[in-house]
Amino acid sequence: MHCPILIAVVIWSSCVDSQKIRGISLSYKRFYRERKSFLCIDGSKLIPFDQVNDDYCDCADGSDEPGTAACPDGRFYCTNLGYRPHYIPSSRVNDAICDCCDASDEYNSHTACQNTCRNLGQRERAEVKSQMRALDQGLRLKQQLIEEGVLTWRDKQAQLRDLQRVLDDLQTQLDDLRKEDARRKKEVDALRELEIGALETEENSHRSHIMNESPVSIFYELDSNRDGRLSAKEVRAKLTDIQDGERVLSEDEAVALLGGGHHVDLSRFEETLWNSIRIGHNVTIRGRVPGRLVKGEPVLKAAVSAAEKAAAELKKVEDAYETVYMEIRDLREKLATDYGPEREFLFLYNQCFQLKVHEYFYELCPFNQVTQTSASGAEVSLGKWGSWAGSPQHRYSQMKYENGEPCWQGPTRNTVVTLTCGTETALRSVKEPGKCQYVAEFQTPVACRPALRQQGVHSEL
Amino acid sequence: MAAFIVRMGPVLMLWLAVCVSGSWAVDRGNFKTCDQSTFCKRQRALKPGQSPYRALLETLELTNTKLTLQLINDNNKVRLLLELYRLQGNMTRVKINELKPLKPRFEVPDVLINDPPTEPLSLLSQDENGMVLSLGADSQRLIVSAKPFRLDIMEGREVLLSLNSRGLLAFEHLRIQDGMWEETFKSHTDSKPNGPTSISLDFSLPGVEHVYGIPEHADTLKLKTTDGGEPYRLYNLDVFQYELFNPMALYGAIPVMLSHSPQRTMGLFWLNAAETWVDISSNTTVFGQMLDYVQGSSETPQTDVRWISESGIIDVFIMLGPTPTDVFAQYASLTGTQAFPPLAALAYHQCRWNYNDQEDVAAVDQGFDQHDIPYDFIWLDIEHADGKRYFTWDPHKFPQPKEMLQGLEDKRRKMVAIVDPHIKVDNSYKIHSEIRSRGFYIKNKDGGDYEGWCWPGNSGYPDFTNPEMRAWWASMFAYDQYEGSRENLYTWNDMNEPSVFNGPEVTMHKDAVHGNWEHRDLHNIYGLYVQMATAEGLIQRSGGVERPFVLTRAFFAGSQRYGAVWTGDNAAEWDHLKITIPMCLSLGLVGVSFCGADVGGFFKSPSPELLVRWYQTGAYQPFFRAHAHLDTPRREPWLFGPENTALIREAVRQRYALLPYWYQLFYHAHRTGQPVMRALWVEYPQDTATFSMDDQFLLGRDLLVHPVTEEGARGVTAYLPGNGEVWFDVHTFQKHNGGQNLYIPVTMSSIPVFQRGGSIIPRKVRVRRSSSCMEHDPYTLYVALSPKRFAQGELYIDDGHTFSYEKQKEFIYRRLAFANNTLSSRSVGSVWIQTFLMLCLSVDGKESQLEFDFDASMSVLTLRKPGVNAGVDWTVVLQ
Repeated sequence: MHCPILIAVVIWSSCVDSQKIRGISLSYKRFYRERKSFLCIDGSKLIPFDQVNDDYCDCADGSDEPGTAACPDGRFYCTNLGYRPHYIPSSRVNDAICDCCDASDEYNSHTACQNTCRNLGQRERAEVKSQMRALDQGLRLKQQLIEEGVLTWRDKQAQLRDLQRVLDDLQTQLDDLRKEDARRKKEVDALRELEIGALETEENSHRSHIMNESPVSIFYELDSNRDGRLSAKEVRAKLTDIQDGERVLSEDEAVALLGGGHHVDLSRFEETLWNSIRIGHNVTIRGRVPGRLVKGEPVLKAAVSAAEKAAAELKKVEDAYETVYMEIRDLREKLATDYGPEREFLFLYNQCFQLKVHEYFYELCPFNQVTQTSASGAEVSLGKWGSWAGSPQHRYSQMKYENGEPCWQGPTRNTVVTLTCGTETALRSVKEPGKCQYVAEFQTPVACRPALRQQGVHSEL
Repeated sequence: MAAFIVRMGPVLMLWLAVCVSGSWAVDRGNFKTCDQSTFCKRQRALKPGQSPYRALLETLELTNTKLTLQLINDNNKVRLLLELYRLQGNMTRVKINELKPLKPRFEVPDVLINDPPTEPLSLLSQDENGMVLSLGADSQRLIVSAKPFRLDIMEGREVLLSLNSRGLLAFEHLRIQDGMWEETFKSHTDSKPNGPTSISLDFSLPGVEHVYGIPEHADTLKLKTTDGGEPYRLYNLDVFQYELFNPMALYGAIPVMLSHSPQRTMGLFWLNAAETWVDISSNTTVFGQMLDYVQGSSETPQTDVRWISESGIIDVFIMLGPTPTDVFAQYASLTGTQAFPPLAALAYHQCRWNYNDQEDVAAVDQGFDQHDIPYDFIWLDIEHADGKRYFTWDPHKFPQPKEMLQGLEDKRRKMVAIVDPHIKVDNSYKIHSEIRSRGFYIKNKDGGDYEGWCWPGNSGYPDFTNPEMRAWWASMFAYDQYEGSRENLYTWNDMNEPSVFNGPEVTMHKDAVHGNWEHRDLHNIYGLYVQMATAEGLIQRSGGVERPFVLTRAFFAGSQRYGAVWTGDNAAEWDHLKITIPMCLSLGLVGVSFCGADVGGFFKSPSPELLVRWYQTGAYQPFFRAHAHLDTPRREPWLFGPENTALIREAVRQRYALLPYWYQLFYHAHRTGQPVMRALWVEYPQDTATFSMDDQFLLGRDLLVHPVTEEGARGVTAYLPGNGEVWFDVHTFQKHNGGQNLYIPVTMSSIPVFQRGGSIIPRKVRVRRSSSCMEHDPYTLYVALSPKRFAQGELYIDDGHTFSYEKQKEFIYRRLAFANNTLSSRSVGSVWIQTFLMLCLSVDGKESQLEFDFDASMSVLTLRKPGVNAGVDWTVVLQ
């Protein structure tokens, strides 16, 4: 005889009265017709029929023990008359826990299970009924919201078109104004050129005249590069020593005239250099012809002021353009968001929903962000709109908000919002199952799907 | 659960942020080195040499039970009293105290289970240099040398162990204050009102190269020498993110060291609960030159050990073996055995800091059923209580604890809720106001109630060393006191080192006061008392009927009597997975069998591979609980894809199938003190290849486990011990010869486990939702034959949760044997019990034929459904 090395023996500490056709659904009954022998359903083994449901596992697929817990990974069929039939793992047979509502899984335990199928069935049917009612209502509401959505969409589109038109107008205005601005600036420059030319031809006897001039015009005259301030260089170029008209001022002298700085603006000019020129003890403007100046000054002044006005006008329109442009960009971005196949989620745009959970106050602004505010008033971002995140079949059943405030030692906060069908639109729950990982339930009619009706009907059977 | 983290205000947060971002390791600066602990520094500065101690032989007194002898320190003339006992069971106890201390010195109570019974000593000879005493059996003798004082224990011509052979006995006597005694560490000052009180003694172990034990350290099984480094430290501490492979102190302390050589196993039990440091050095000495008895001299490897404690007395038990089994029995006779846990506690535990609320608990419970993974216990950490006021429930998150517990009971499952020993100082909190009004808090040095920071904020610490306090605490677990509790609620004691966030080294000030004693004297035993009082509470609430289950983080010698321990706040790293083996093996060697590590790692987040490997390892370690830090992502077994879920399911199912074997091992541990999870050398004491092995282990004698603990492993090399033995792969039944290194290719589903040829292991192969659901299921015996076609094993059955096995002797204990082609079951003096009478007797007194299957390729014979009753005698004959 061959040497058996390993022996497995099963010792019973309880016995089971077997009932042959337990734990089998109607469709499987044909495999278990009382015969002499039983073929494992996978065809792997032929056993005497009295070994079916005899509380010892013979078939590798567990098919010989549908009514006992003998086979690992076996399954037991609960008939559950009056409720829903279903399979349970066979390890739940006779474990003193009532799993089947018809109590059929506990036929040999010491637990007295009640048959609760009728009650469950009634309750479920009532529930399904109310769910169906809610679903119907939800679907009607959804239809309305879709229609509203269509209108909103149209409005938004119209708004976009209007804005676009405004933008076009502004563009035209801008073009005109830019031209105008350039023209005005040129005019001022031309006038200045003219003036300087005239000055060069006339004699210099000017002190008293300068006394009559405004510091502004002198300032602009000296500001040869038109940068709104006078530099020592500009001063040296235009001013001359009153005694020696040929002498160019030194850098230090120019700086001293500017009150010790290398640059002055208009107001500082009035406090420093202007006084020196006006009094005329030390310096004067090179080649100055006082008579011309008096004559030409009002013309230049008017030109300068007109150029300033044109520039201001341009600035105003540029700002308006910028604002409208941004508005259009935002609107485009929002319109580019996926609001569902029928844009049914569009109505949530620009809305926020709140919920208080114990000491925390949560706010969901769909397609924007989720926040949490504690009793102390500190607001924390739980995520910004990321994407739809449902399963491929039901992409629109979940939203993901990402990149909220970072956690200590951890990643950034994020929130998964599950959308459920209901007649109202409201935030139903917010939880934090793992640190900084939030899950929220958001109920809304637009999450209602006609397919849910099918499921409801199925479960009614 | 938890270490030392957050929630202590912004200052601490900052400090932690710095500490954490730098590296994932302990902040060593928070904990003392020997140099920073002044007594350790003083003692370690003493070098081996001539001891100043001399035995005054004329003071010898020898009674029936003990020998007493005075020692004098020739430098300061202070006298010590030596007491020497020969204890039954081949042990010797040596006590040294001051002869006339200024006031009593602390002697550790409540650790020994009784006054150890003694045997008479007899004086064989005496002269002016010393004396020779007989230690009873085995020609053992004790040699007392007078100058310098020294003890040698001999067996025949062999020296087993010597005391003070290196002259490092040092006893700092109590004295009148002679200067500033204060000592400062970081910002903490220790007033040290009694001045220096430390003690030290050295032991030499000739012939010994391997020493083990003195947990808790995150280090190898074989202890390392400490020359030039830090000594092993024993001081219960809450160490945040502990480092591996070093001698730093951790949460628990068991001052027991085992020595082993192919010739002999011995143990040293240093009964002292103060801060303790242990130095180990090894050398080869020319031994025996000081002894007339040893003729000639020979080179012998030797290990020298030196113990240093801050206060108390020297009280050391020398367990002389000679076998590992003997040492376990000797230690068990002193401090008791492992508490026999309820069967369910050996099953799988699901824990997390924190399951957020009742809904969360229900959802996780449901998740296990949905994914068909069994579990027995779900755990609640500190967040379940109302503002960390233990014994209460958060009114928002857990408004109906009883309903929640009933829901678990309906699935035959249980819950553990945490109860820590720091009590929120809050006058409206009943537990606090009662403890305060009864004067049960530990006092500070100035006499007020000691207060420190812990999870609830400002907290008081009950004085668990006070028996009245413990009795009161136990009474708080009564169902009418602990609101919302039910029979299926059990308890977890964390932070019982004790952890004090703002105390020195994150623990209590040493000058805090427990009645007559300083915290310094008894620090290491505080945690034991917490678990003791809690376990007593769980026993009392059921009127003494039900066995308790209490998990503790801090422990001391004797803690095994009160429940389970775990290795604290580990991390999700491969090295942390590896270290679980030596950490639990070390605990097993010194009595604590019910040991486990947080599956998955507490800090950080494991990769799916690490998590799966950890489940596979944990399924074969005694305490099997998954746990995770608050800040880590969720990691219930089904969150890592269907493949990993299936791998974890399979690991957990393997655990459940083996529960009969685990239960029997624990019964055995409870009866005899033998460890459940064993180092290989324990069963193969002659096989030197096993002496340092700590990447595999035995469960009992018969299962060898070499878990996969390497990332990306393609194979492991397991050592199968025992020349002439055979081992069977438990999954494939393939046979392998013992005495070899075996390379085993592995996949993600592999858990290399082998059954010893010659053993019979009972299993329950119908794995159900929880262990309770498997109560009435049949057993399957796995009979693995030895080359001589022989096998034996045991089967232990009782109700699984009460003390009836002990009080009413209601249990079945069978010896199973296969010999001469006959498998039989015979009673081991068990009592036939009523509980099992309902079982049917299908082969009662009759002979019947059995069907069988024979798989010739693997030589596996399966007997189909013999249907015999587990409780009666039967035989199965192969013909």
